[in-house]
Amino acid sequence: MPAAPALRELQRGFADAVLGRGDAGARWVAGAGLAPTARLQVYANAIARTQIDTLRATYPAVLALVGAEFFEAAAARYRLRYPSTRGNLQAFGAAFADFLAALPEAAALAYLPDVARLEWLRQEAALAADAEPIDPAAWLAALDAPTPLQLVLHPSLRLLASAHPLLTIWRYAIAPAGDRLQLDGRGEQVVLWRDGGEVALAATDAASHACIAALASGHDLDAAQAVALAVDADFDLAACLRSLIAQGLVVAFTQTGERPT
Amino acid sequence: MHDASTLAMRPIPAAAGIGLRAPHLQRVLAERPRVPWFEMHSENFFGAGGAIHAALERVRADYPLSLHGVGLSLGSADALDGEHLATLRDLVRRYQPGLVSDHICWGAVGGVHLNDLLPLPFTVEALDLMVSRVQQVQDALGREFLVENVSSYLTFEHADMSEWEFVAELVRRAGCGLLLDVNNVYVNSINHGFDAHAYLRAMPRAAVREIHLAGFTRKEALDVPLLIDSHSRPVDAAVWDLYAEALALLGPLPTLIEWDQDLPELEVLQAEAGRAEALLDARRARAA
Repeated sequence: MPAAPALRELQRGFADAVLGRGDAGARWVAGAGLAPTARLQVYANAIARTQIDTLRATYPAVLALVGAEFFEAAAARYRLRYPSTRGNLQAFGAAFADFLAALPEAAALAYLPDVARLEWLRQEAALAADAEPIDPAAWLAALDAPTPLQLVLHPSLRLLASAHPLLTIWRYAIAPAGDRLQLDGRGEQVVLWRDGGEVALAATDAASHACIAALASGHDLDAAQAVALAVDADFDLAACLRSLIAQGLVVAFTQTGERPT
Repeated sequence: MHDASTLAMRPIPAAAGIGLRAPHLQRVLAERPRVPWFEMHSENFFGAGGAIHAALERVRADYPLSLHGVGLSLGSADALDGEHLATLRDLVRRYQPGLVSDHICWGAVGGVHLNDLLPLPFTVEALDLMVSRVQQVQDALGREFLVENVSSYLTFEHADMSEWEFVAELVRRAGCGLLLDVNNVYVNSINHGFDAHAYLRAMPRAAVREIHLAGFTRKEALDVPLLIDSHSRPVDAAVWDLYAEALALLGPLPTLIEWDQDLPELEVLQAEAGRAEALLDARRARAA
C-alpha cells in the first residue's frame, strides 16, 4: 500500500483521474472487488453528465442548431478546456461562445458563437437583480430640467449587436416555423430584458441600440443622442425613451453630476 | 418584496415534506397542495433576482422552507469560497429557512469544481478540516447548520476511522446538526459492506434534525453490487425498513422525499411522503 497522501494530494489525484489527466490517484482507492479505476469512472461519468446537462439547459438554441451528437462532443471538450470554477452551476458555461468560435468543426456556422452569446445573456437577464421602474410623473418633471439627464437602466437589460440575423436565427432554433430558415444576411441588434418573470428579446435598429448602449455605459441623454445620430441622422430620441419607459427599463435618473437616486 | 426582518422563521415540522424541483413549482404555487414543508436547493437562488426569487417568496409565504446546498464543498483542501458563503448567508437572512444544510463531502481542488458530492477519506486530517469548515459556516450564518452523509462508490485505502465514526465525531466537535440520509446509509452499507444498523446506532441522536429518503438504482454487470444514489425511483423496501428503525431510535423527525432524475408527477412524491407519514404516525402513537 502506498504512503497515505495529504488531503490536497488525494483530491488532486482524484480530480486528475475523473478529468482524464492520469490515473495516479487510483492507487489510493480501495478496489474491494472492482478495479479502482472503474470506481473512479462512476464519478467521472456522473460529473461529465451534470456539467454537460448544465450546458444543454443553458444553450438550447445551440443544441437545436448543431444537433445532440455534435453538442455532446463539443460540451465534453468545453468542460475540460474551461473547467467549472464555482460550486454554483449557474456560473458554468460563460466561455462557451468563445470556445465555439475557436472550434474548427463549427466554423461553417459563423453565427453559432453569437447564438451562444445571446443564450448566456438570456441567463444573465433571468438571474439579474430586481428593480422598480421610475415614477413616470417624476420623469416628466425631470425632462423639463435644463441639465442633461443620466439614466440608470434595469439590471436585467442586456444588448448584443450581431453581424448575423441573430434573433431570427435564435427564434427559428427554439421554435422552427416553415421548412427552412430564410436569411437575408443582414445583422440584427438584440435587446434582452426581464418582462415579468420571462426574458424578453427584441430586435432594434442600430441607432436605438447605440443610444441604449451609451446610456447603459453611463453617458447622459445628450451624449447618447449624439452617438445615435452619428449612426442614423433620423434617430428619434423621444421614441427610444418612450420604449424604455414603457418596458419599465428606466429605474433611476440623475441630473448630470449628481449620484443616481 | 418581503423584508427579512419581518419574516419570522418557521420551524420545519416532524412531518414528511417534499424536495421541490423546478418542474413542480408552478403547480405548487397555483394549487397549494397539502404538503407540510418543502426543501429547495440553495444554489438555485444564487442569482440576485428574477422569477425564481418571486416564486420562492410565494413558497416561503405558504410553507415552512428548508434550504439545502450542494455546492459549498466543505471538505476541499482549497479554502471555502467566500463569495459562495456570503451569497448563502444573504439568502438565509432573506428567507429565514427553518433548516439550512449541505453535505459531508468535497467538490473542488485547485480552483477546479467538479460539481459533485465527492467522498472524503475518513482521516483525522479530513475530520479536522470539516470541523473547522462547519464552524466557519455556522459563524458566518449565525445559526445552526446541518451536514448530510453522502452516498459513495469508493473508499480510500487509508482511513483512521469508519464513516459512522467520522460523521458522529464531526457533528459532536463542530456542534452542528445532522441531516441523516437513510438511503445513503443503506447504499453505502451495500457498496462498502458494513452494517447499516450499527451505523444508525452510532449516530449522535440528539443532533439529528432531519432525515432524507430517496430511491437508488443498481449498476448492472459488475463483479460486486454497486448502488447508485440516483434520486430517480421510489424509496426501496429495505430503506423503508431502515427508516422505521431510525425513527424508533431517534423519534419522529422532519423527513424529506427527494427525487431529481426522471421526476414523476407531484402525486407520486406525495404518495411517497404519505408512506413516510404513516411511519411517523406509528412512531408518534408509540411515543404518546
